[in-house]
Amino acid sequence: MESPHLYPVKLYVYDLSKGLARRLSPIMLGKQLEGIWHTSIVVHKDEFFFGSGGISSCPPGGTLLGPPDTVVDVGSTEVTEEIFLEYLSSLGESLFRGEAYNLFEHNCNTFSNEVAQFLTGRKIPSYITDLPSEVLSTPFGQALRPLLDSIQIQPPGGNTVGRPNGQS
Amino acid sequence: MTPALKPSRNICLPSPNCPCWYLLPAYPLNSMSHVTSRAPRTDQSRCPSSLPADNSMSSSCTRVIVKTPAKQEDFTVADDILVRQFKEKLAAHFECQIDQLVLVFMGRLLKDEDTLSQRGITDGHTIYLVIKSKNGSRSLAHSSQNLPTNDHCHQDRNIKENNSGVCQTAGMSQVPVKSALFIESHVPNVQNQNLEVDNPQHAAQMLENLCFQQLLSNVEFMQQFVSGHLDKQQLIQQNPEVAHLLDNCESLWQTLELIRSLAIIQEIVQTQQPAQNLEHSLNPQPYLGLETIPSGNSVLCQSYADFSDQMFNSMQDPFGDNPSTGLLAGQLTGQVQSSTPPSSQEWQDQYPCLPTTRVICTDSCGLSSVTSTNANPNTLNHTSRTNMISTKDQSHVCAIQQPAGIPILPSIEVMQQLQEENKDGCVSVCSSDQQFEEDFQLLDEQATSQITGGIAQLFINYPHLAAQIMFMSMTPLSEQCRQQQPIFLQQSKLSDLLLALANPKASRAILQIEEGFQLLATEAPILLSCFVPYLSDSCWLPGVQCSFPDTVTRTWNAPDMAEPKRPECCHKSGAVLHRLQSLDGNSSQTPHAPEIRFRKQMKFLQDIGFGNYYANLQALIATEGDTNAAIRKLKKS
Repeated sequence: MESPHLYPVKLYVYDLSKGLARRLSPIMLGKQLEGIWHTSIVVHKDEFFFGSGGISSCPPGGTLLGPPDTVVDVGSTEVTEEIFLEYLSSLGESLFRGEAYNLFEHNCNTFSNEVAQFLTGRKIPSYITDLPSEVLSTPFGQALRPLLDSIQIQPPGGNTVGRPNGQS
Repeated sequence: MTPALKPSRNICLPSPNCPCWYLLPAYPLNSMSHVTSRAPRTDQSRCPSSLPADNSMSSSCTRVIVKTPAKQEDFTVADDILVRQFKEKLAAHFECQIDQLVLVFMGRLLKDEDTLSQRGITDGHTIYLVIKSKNGSRSLAHSSQNLPTNDHCHQDRNIKENNSGVCQTAGMSQVPVKSALFIESHVPNVQNQNLEVDNPQHAAQMLENLCFQQLLSNVEFMQQFVSGHLDKQQLIQQNPEVAHLLDNCESLWQTLELIRSLAIIQEIVQTQQPAQNLEHSLNPQPYLGLETIPSGNSVLCQSYADFSDQMFNSMQDPFGDNPSTGLLAGQLTGQVQSSTPPSSQEWQDQYPCLPTTRVICTDSCGLSSVTSTNANPNTLNHTSRTNMISTKDQSHVCAIQQPAGIPILPSIEVMQQLQEENKDGCVSVCSSDQQFEEDFQLLDEQATSQITGGIAQLFINYPHLAAQIMFMSMTPLSEQCRQQQPIFLQQSKLSDLLLALANPKASRAILQIEEGFQLLATEAPILLSCFVPYLSDSCWLPGVQCSFPDTVTRTWNAPDMAEPKRPECCHKSGAVLHRLQSLDGNSSQTPHAPEIRFRKQMKFLQDIGFGNYYANLQALIATEGDTNAAIRKLKKS
């Protein structure tokens, strides 16, 4: 039996604070944060991420954030592009609509984690997914929570992933 | 695929509980703990690694979780079920055709002829289900044929994100759309003046540069964006000076940065010292309320009155267009400005760098390590005598800005030099020089320790503001911030800032940070040329560019190599000043002289009875046309 074609899956990690978090977090939070992580999944030569505008895609490194700060190899997948786009469309209509975005509970990293598990069965590194709880466990985070809750992040440069017209 | 087990290679062991034969495969692949049962069926299945005695092999059930994009459900199936059979079950459950189902486990597509256990699916595992749509395949949104749609989507996103920003509580003006992150507030107010489409080429260009730099370099963009903003209209009405500010893209950016930091610090300071009684509100007046510093207060007021009108008015022009810069840099700048009549051309020609100088100095009040200009004034001092006054002017400015900056020594040295050189200068200037020097020494010590001491305290005591700094440094400013900015600045008193920052240890810490920046600057001079053009815009925030701190410090450091005698901060400030002089040119010139702007107020003041024309003018410049405040000022002097 022929071996199925495997597509590599990468996780692009961006530090939204551009190093500020690493410098200021000890003072502000009382604990060291290495960054404010925004992640996206790169597969089939496209980058997919979730923001306040829903699921978006762009060429790898194609958002205004520029190239990623870190690239994590998640694994490889047999899922073809067609199936993957179907999956993303379903996600975009259900779990990952734009209005479902929440900086703490349901953010880009939630999406990346979900997609990584779908594609490879593996989760993304925990230091990324633990970030909201890390912040919220500090007095600063708690104090700032109302403000942060209203924040929605949408890196520009991507295009919404959706179903073509008329498809159910 | 499952390795084929040939009977000849297996050891058959009878089991007391099951009539089935147990096969122990000889392959190293299967651990010896695994027991494979040869069921009567042709396909083979592997039991979970639990004790074989506890499993009824032929009818073991596995509970798998099937996750669709919308939901997840549990399914209990026999672990040796065929994928095809499983799909039949799912198709019935999800009411679709088997052909539409795609099962994914661990990134592998499940084929119909496999069994679940063959793929290693055991109890509790999650299988992903994708239900394909009935139509054919789709292409990715950003392929070429979808480009118009993409532009539209992106444009829509731009529209939505246009006026959003973090820190609605901070009085921030809004940075235009094209920044690295769009942060939307829940407030749905959207001024979609800026609908410049982010076409792919433009986005690609932007990607190659620093986000903020690109943002700001698009002058048309910014002007279009800002001009259409309702808040700007209000702001302009409140203060005509702001119009000058906003029309100039670079000064606007500087202003935004400064105001951003200023607002934070002001709020911090204000809460710390609510009792401080400031004479002047901050927005958008170009000077700090250093009067509140007790020892310097009366002396300062007198000093201001003694300033040469000519000198300070000339300085007014380059500074006037960026009043918010003056906020941080200080009151004294404003005071100085207020007393100088316009001999603008000469001074402007000589001080193309002044706005940026001020920016640098004001920024130093914040997080940056840029400090007052030291080397530059000295350099200018050594130039021709004709430039003396202008040099002195600049030094005055720099020295004035010292309170907002950090190092004391350079300004004092400069002042001393100036004093020596300018002995034959204007009489009023000289007299004010001496006073200035005394004042500055006083104020510098106070203000410096106050300012630098408080910054660390600020972050610790007011983490929400620190968060604001963090977010603001990387995001565009929300429309709400812009709306709140005038209110915010009016509420907080900048002199509180100076007074509140009183810890000398913190000033030492900041000096150390600056030293660190210097060290960074020495490491990689390569980036210097890349970022020099951006320096005039990016002189403030090392935080913003914390991924590029070396660039800024490098720029500082490069011209600074020739002046190693200067203490650490002086190095950088002088170097930056050099840089900015060469770069910034006359970008921040204000076309209107203060007399023209304040004609009405001047007349009013004279009608009231303030006969000293120049004093009136100074007061009006200092208060930016606020007649009442000017009257108060004049009364004090």
